[in-house]
Amino acid sequence: MQRRMFLILLPLLALALAGPPAALAQKPIRVGFPMPLSGPAALYGDPALKGAQLFVEELNAKGGVLGRKLELLPRDSKANPDEAVRVSRELILKENVDFLVGTLTSAEGPAVSVVAKENKVVFIAPIPKTDQLTAKDKLHPYVFRVAATTTMEGRSIAEIVAKWGVKRIATISFDYAYGQDVTRAFVEHIKKIKPGVEIVDQQWPKLGEADYRPFINAQMAKKPDAVFSSIWGGHFVTFAKQAKPLGYFDAIKYNFIGAGEIAAPETTKAMGAEYPVGIWGNTYDAFYWDAAPAAHHDYTARLARFLKDDAPSSWSIQTYIAMQFLTAAITKAGGTDGDKVAKALLGLSIDTPHGKMTIRAKDHQADRGQLYGKTVKDPKYPFAIMKPLTYVDPAKFMD
Amino acid sequence: MSARARVPWGLLGVLAALSVPFLGSRYYTFVATDVAILALFAVSLNLLLGYTGLVSFGHAAYFGVGAYTTGLLMKKAGVPFVLAFPAAGVLAGLLALVFGFFCVRLTKIYFAMLTLAFAQIVWAICFKWNDLTGGEQGMPEIPYPDLAWLERLPLVGELRTSDHFYLLTVVLVALCFWLLRRVVGSPFGRILTTIRENPERAEFIGVHVRRWELLAFVLAGAFAGLAGGLFGIFNRGVFPDFIYWTKSSEVLIMAILGGMGYFYGPAVGALVLLVLNQQITSYTEYWPFVLGSILIVLLFAFPGGLVGALDAGRRRLLRLGRA
Repeated sequence: MQRRMFLILLPLLALALAGPPAALAQKPIRVGFPMPLSGPAALYGDPALKGAQLFVEELNAKGGVLGRKLELLPRDSKANPDEAVRVSRELILKENVDFLVGTLTSAEGPAVSVVAKENKVVFIAPIPKTDQLTAKDKLHPYVFRVAATTTMEGRSIAEIVAKWGVKRIATISFDYAYGQDVTRAFVEHIKKIKPGVEIVDQQWPKLGEADYRPFINAQMAKKPDAVFSSIWGGHFVTFAKQAKPLGYFDAIKYNFIGAGEIAAPETTKAMGAEYPVGIWGNTYDAFYWDAAPAAHHDYTARLARFLKDDAPSSWSIQTYIAMQFLTAAITKAGGTDGDKVAKALLGLSIDTPHGKMTIRAKDHQADRGQLYGKTVKDPKYPFAIMKPLTYVDPAKFMD
Repeated sequence: MSARARVPWGLLGVLAALSVPFLGSRYYTFVATDVAILALFAVSLNLLLGYTGLVSFGHAAYFGVGAYTTGLLMKKAGVPFVLAFPAAGVLAGLLALVFGFFCVRLTKIYFAMLTLAFAQIVWAICFKWNDLTGGEQGMPEIPYPDLAWLERLPLVGELRTSDHFYLLTVVLVALCFWLLRRVVGSPFGRILTTIRENPERAEFIGVHVRRWELLAFVLAGAFAGLAGGLFGIFNRGVFPDFIYWTKSSEVLIMAILGGMGYFYGPAVGALVLLVLNQQITSYTEYWPFVLGSILIVLLFAFPGGLVGALDAGRRRLLRLGRA
């Protein structure tokens, strides 16, 4: 009996002792890709991975970059900074990756940035928004970001709300870094560009709150004209389901605008008829963006084919753009030397599916805007879409 | 005593561990540091689990508090490592004293649940207290201890900072193991075993069970804190997940996998678990499935863990040799 157990355990031990798979003859450029691929955050992490995979597949079909193929090494970061650090170090030390592209949450990004700095590996963050990632005291030569920052997102929304002609504004956000940062950016900017407004109420539920009703009731009692929210992604689904029957959206005449991609096609699709149609939101991308640059239509068609989905994900664009920047920098640097590629990224401009985009030399931040709009019902789709859809260019208020 | 007992296995083990950086691979040093620190964490838990018979489901709390203590002192207060490291043990020990005071009043599953509850409270505090702990974003960039003097030495001078830190870790962990060995070999250690075997009877012969259990709890917490202090530096950052209940269950798995009936069992468990994890996650994302399968096989075939299995194998060989 025991001998048989040994026979079972033996191959496992052999597997443990075996080294990493043998290197290929023609060495590809290895890109480590830490991303949440399990748990609730995989809802965004999976399509993010697909965007990078689409880019790599197309590039390799055309012969790669500088005659070398790209190889993507995805690892599950489980949406937590500890795990993201662990897999990133493993990717660098064991898999010898040349670059890191990835991370999703605002906790993962800065944590992996430290690993990139110490190992002198270029790291491009496609999704984390926290200002701290590229703040002056945290910036180092190897970290770059192609997502909007909390400052850019908060200010973009303030620009929109300023045109509504509302006076009494309330906010509701999660009580943690992203929620606080984006709300502060919104409040400061709206007070600056529209001095007459008054912040009448601020609610701070904890991240992942299950019962929003006390917060909703307290907010309605203050009778605001409009509400800014940064309750993001799947949390917004819970929030909206509780707010709607309480008459929350009616009370503020749907003058509700949410940061955190609450109008992404995935979210409106998931909520279907329960979506509070009429509110405002944002998204990284929208397959139904008619006024988009020509490159976007082409990109959407290719992504739809790749994902086998007529309404392809809005998250894939972020990693696609990150990979575009990386490849362009490798070409410009003429090799994969970390220091040279990092230098090449400074001030680099490329043509993305969303038009021309530049990584600024001074803070390693791309001038990435987002799509904003009011949600409406459209007979063409069984879910809400944003119409008209506006791409808010953050160039004017990035600093 | 046979000749075998006189072989200084411990010293040989330390020397073997110290030679890892000279293999020249940054990755080997990385894995070895991870193993050494978590081995200490697992062995500290075993003081409760294997020796006293107390199942703690919240051991990560002391590990995490140690990590935050050393991290905060070194990063924000600029305190040198020689003070920040013992401080991790002291603070974690104090916390264990407070929590343990309540926990040892309960037994079995209630004890386990209370340790878990306390750990989750600590986690919630670290997760929420943005100003001190950095909240859910944690506290990245803990500085390495100042080991510049090592660079002036021959041989080790050529090595990298992470290698120097590894050497320091091995020495400190070895020291902790030596201390813990002294503890479990002492009359105090015997009392703990007595409590594990039969607490009622121990009480009858005049052993103040709660007091000794509390002492074991504090010691285990303090050593977990020391492991945490090292881990924060090694991990280049301290995060609230260090305290989350999954971390507590991870260290329980290490102890059970390696064999909680043996002093170095949990250390072997840490080694096997980490190496398997590193290897298997490169092949498949279903690592929990593999781990679960291994545990099922192990629990049914070798309840004594890996070391128990090796011990059984060795004894059988000896019997065969004698026959």
